[in-house]
Amino acid sequence: MDPRQQPLLRRRLGVFKGMAWSLVALLVIVYAWLQLVRHGEFKQLAMQQAVKVRPIPAPRGLVLDRNGHRLVDNRRALHLVIQREDLPAKPEEVAALAEALALDPAALARKIQIYRLAGKGRPLVLKENLDEAGIAIAERVRARFSFLGVEVAPRRVYLGDELAGHVLGYVGEVDEEMMMAKPSLFRLGETIGKEGFEASGNDRLKGLDGQKRILVDQLGTEVANFGQVDAVAGRSLYLTLDAGLQKVAQEAFGDEAGSVVVLDLRDGGVLALYSSPSYDPNLFLNRLSQDMVDRYLANNVTRPMVNRATQGIYAPGSTFKLLVALAALEKGIATPQTVVYCAGKKNFYGRDFRCDKATGHGNLSMVQAIAQSCDVYFYELASRMDVDDIHATAEKYGLTERTGIDLPQEKRTRIPSRAWKRKASPRDPKWYAGETISVGIGQGAVGVTPIGLARFFALLATKGKLLTPHLFYGFRGDQSNELELAPVPPQKDTPLDPKIWAILDEGLAEVVQSGTAGANPFIREIAKIIPFSGKTGTAQVATFVDKAHYARQAKKLKDHALFAGYAPREHPQIAFAVVVENAGFGSTAAAPIAAKLVKYWFVDRLANPLPAPRGRMVDPFAPQPPEAPE
Amino acid sequence: MRERFRALDSRLLWVLLALIVLGTLTLYSAGRNTPQAGIWLKQSLWNLLGVILMLGLATTDPRRIFRASFPAYLLGLVALAAVLVVGRKIGGATRWFVVAGQSFQPSELMKWITLLYVAHRLGSRPADAVGRLEIFGAVGLVVFPMLLIQRQPDLGMALSFLPILLIIPLMKGLRARWVAALLLLAVVGGFGAWKVALKPYQKHRVMIFLDPSADLQGKGYQVNQSRIAIGAGGLIGKGFTSGSQTQLNFLPVKTTDFAFSVWAEERGFLGVLLALGLFGLLLSRILDAARAAHTNAEAYFCAGAAGIFALHLLVNVGMVAGALPNKGMVLPFFSAGGSSTLSFFLALGLIMGVLYRSRVK
Repeated sequence: MDPRQQPLLRRRLGVFKGMAWSLVALLVIVYAWLQLVRHGEFKQLAMQQAVKVRPIPAPRGLVLDRNGHRLVDNRRALHLVIQREDLPAKPEEVAALAEALALDPAALARKIQIYRLAGKGRPLVLKENLDEAGIAIAERVRARFSFLGVEVAPRRVYLGDELAGHVLGYVGEVDEEMMMAKPSLFRLGETIGKEGFEASGNDRLKGLDGQKRILVDQLGTEVANFGQVDAVAGRSLYLTLDAGLQKVAQEAFGDEAGSVVVLDLRDGGVLALYSSPSYDPNLFLNRLSQDMVDRYLANNVTRPMVNRATQGIYAPGSTFKLLVALAALEKGIATPQTVVYCAGKKNFYGRDFRCDKATGHGNLSMVQAIAQSCDVYFYELASRMDVDDIHATAEKYGLTERTGIDLPQEKRTRIPSRAWKRKASPRDPKWYAGETISVGIGQGAVGVTPIGLARFFALLATKGKLLTPHLFYGFRGDQSNELELAPVPPQKDTPLDPKIWAILDEGLAEVVQSGTAGANPFIREIAKIIPFSGKTGTAQVATFVDKAHYARQAKKLKDHALFAGYAPREHPQIAFAVVVENAGFGSTAAAPIAAKLVKYWFVDRLANPLPAPRGRMVDPFAPQPPEAPE
Repeated sequence: MRERFRALDSRLLWVLLALIVLGTLTLYSAGRNTPQAGIWLKQSLWNLLGVILMLGLATTDPRRIFRASFPAYLLGLVALAAVLVVGRKIGGATRWFVVAGQSFQPSELMKWITLLYVAHRLGSRPADAVGRLEIFGAVGLVVFPMLLIQRQPDLGMALSFLPILLIIPLMKGLRARWVAALLLLAVVGGFGAWKVALKPYQKHRVMIFLDPSADLQGKGYQVNQSRIAIGAGGLIGKGFTSGSQTQLNFLPVKTTDFAFSVWAEERGFLGVLLALGLFGLLLSRILDAARAAHTNAEAYFCAGAAGIFALHLLVNVGMVAGALPNKGMVLPFFSAGGSSTLSFFLALGLIMGVLYRSRVK
């Protein structure tokens, strides 16, 4: 039968047609709801995931030595990061991410939480400085976690490795405590100097982060840039350090522990500052691995992280005799003509104080006493003074203060006084006269930092100029690329009486010419070319019955060797202090290091200068540097 | 040849051509700057081939076609069984034969063959003369290939067989107890399916449909991004090839399942109105064909075809808007794909033939 003749079928097909149009109408309503009513909301969402604001990290300034040789450079490195806007919210997502990257889940969750609260800024760095294998792993993990990104950012390179670890320090991510302490100063995720000059010069070295608005695709790849505020690079800084001299200092120490400071007498600039053992700041740029912790931090008896030059406190030993002499002369207790007889020992307050020369020096003038480092002479001077007299002189000449060097956490020199004893030893606050005798030869409670000792000898060399040791030499001009000198930090003038100064100067010259240091043929030889002045010191670490007993002791109980002085004798230009730990006599362990530095500075440096810095990447140490022949 | 062109129904043809243009533009924009840049061209070739087949079918004697439906049905069952054994496994499902680098999905064509065969069987006698047993037999003819397809597994495809059953109310009308029985069956079947038949990924899809934000990085991600694309399109759209969701690849599988989102984002609500209006006209014209048919079988076929097209429209367009679960049903003329495109054109060829004969007689 022809279906056209069936009214029922036709009616039903009419119903079907109505249903078809109803279906279309229904879908139109659904789309009107999404596209008209909720348009704003979805437009916003589409924007949010495609348009991103990304920080542009500002490169830190470079650090150069006084001649423009690079000590710290920047290189490009890749980091696996999460941009602030993309931080994951779900705990299970964070846990999965931590597992994929082998990170501690609790620490990661905590970090993400902190970053989320902090708003816009530098991304959260999950893995730093990716190598090829690291990049491969990062790409694999990114496939699973779309919010991960790989960021290109400059990274510090310390060119001399261990050469100037303590001077330069290193950088790291600002930690939470610092953030909390100074929220206006630091921003989360920022790289800041953690140690050394990186820390003290942080404000100058760090630049200003920029920002860009970009269009990204689903993989987070930048597709278009809507405009950006460029980052302002940090300023490149010159240090007063001389890389060549620093290198000589490093090599002179070898395996010995200790430190050396060389000061420029014109302005107090630090020409060399080396603390042995040193550390390689490059190793601190990545999160500390267990290997690193073992090597540098955990129970390391050599304590490489301590900057011995500014944080090491040593008994100055005989180098302190200059201050005692100065105090005695200024107080009028002694004159240059004062003669004391040394019999090898002397009794004070019922106790024998021994001279280093058991057979005795005989009759000595002050100059001879300094040259021969006679202990009895200075026991005698000390016995005629109060400890507070010595302290007052030390205070007058700045020895009780911090030197103010631009390195973090400098320790203060310790010069005892009655007030000090009361505070330091509440159970036995009384000062005993016998203690003053020990102070007379730089033992007992006296403790100085090498930098403080160097500054005191710089004061002697300059007849009373109290310099402020400093590392910051100047900026590198943005256009000129030339050094623009920074102002010299303030110095104080505390002029020495010329007559008194002449005695001390002669005594120090005699030490090298004919005295304790002059006994060493190596020193004599160098002093023949460049006459220099200085004082040896041998500071006791422990007390022994006799020399045979001492000879049997373990290395760590042996005396610290010291040498402090200036060069050349006439019109001195540099002052220095050397400490070699547990090395025995100042004349045999410490003075030769000073002599090598003097020889480099006044002879070898001028004869074979380092190649001039030039181009972008001059590493003065990688090629064969012209070293002083030993 | 001229005879053949005269066989084309102009109203249906214009609607088809308009939909093809829309679909091609969409695929061009979706494939831009991706490895699938040439997909619009490839799809155009399928469309061309489809139009030729449609032309051929429109002028073929319908009796020959209906007579061939039984062997075709048997062959289809064999193919469905075979694909389970020798088919290529892609993405956890065995749905495709791969011949000379071209994959072919037998279930696409089988849907139309089944419709054809069921229409043929039920339409060979007046509706009043068809007994209850024959009705049940027809239901069985539909359900059997569905079960085979569900083995692949491909729930979306299996469900797209259901509109064939629209023939039954067309013949017999709807009675209250039929509706009640169907509802009961749906509830029991739905429960049973959830417990037994549904694969975990299918359950997952239903769960995500109920709460799309529950899994924003996984399956819910697709629908979520699609909704953002549609909503961001607004009234007039972002402009051709200017949709951020599409061009920046936030939108997933944008050349197949989510092609309509591309259109909605770039052409906006006005574009959606145009496309849906065209689909409405298409359905309307197919139902016109059913009314104009000379035989019951032809009328049933056209009505079933309208149902299948409507289901594809509803499920795909509804799904990309997040109004229906993510079923993976293609949208005719928009979603790229050879098997589905050819099948749609073959069906339309038959419908064209019906309209042609109603004009000439």
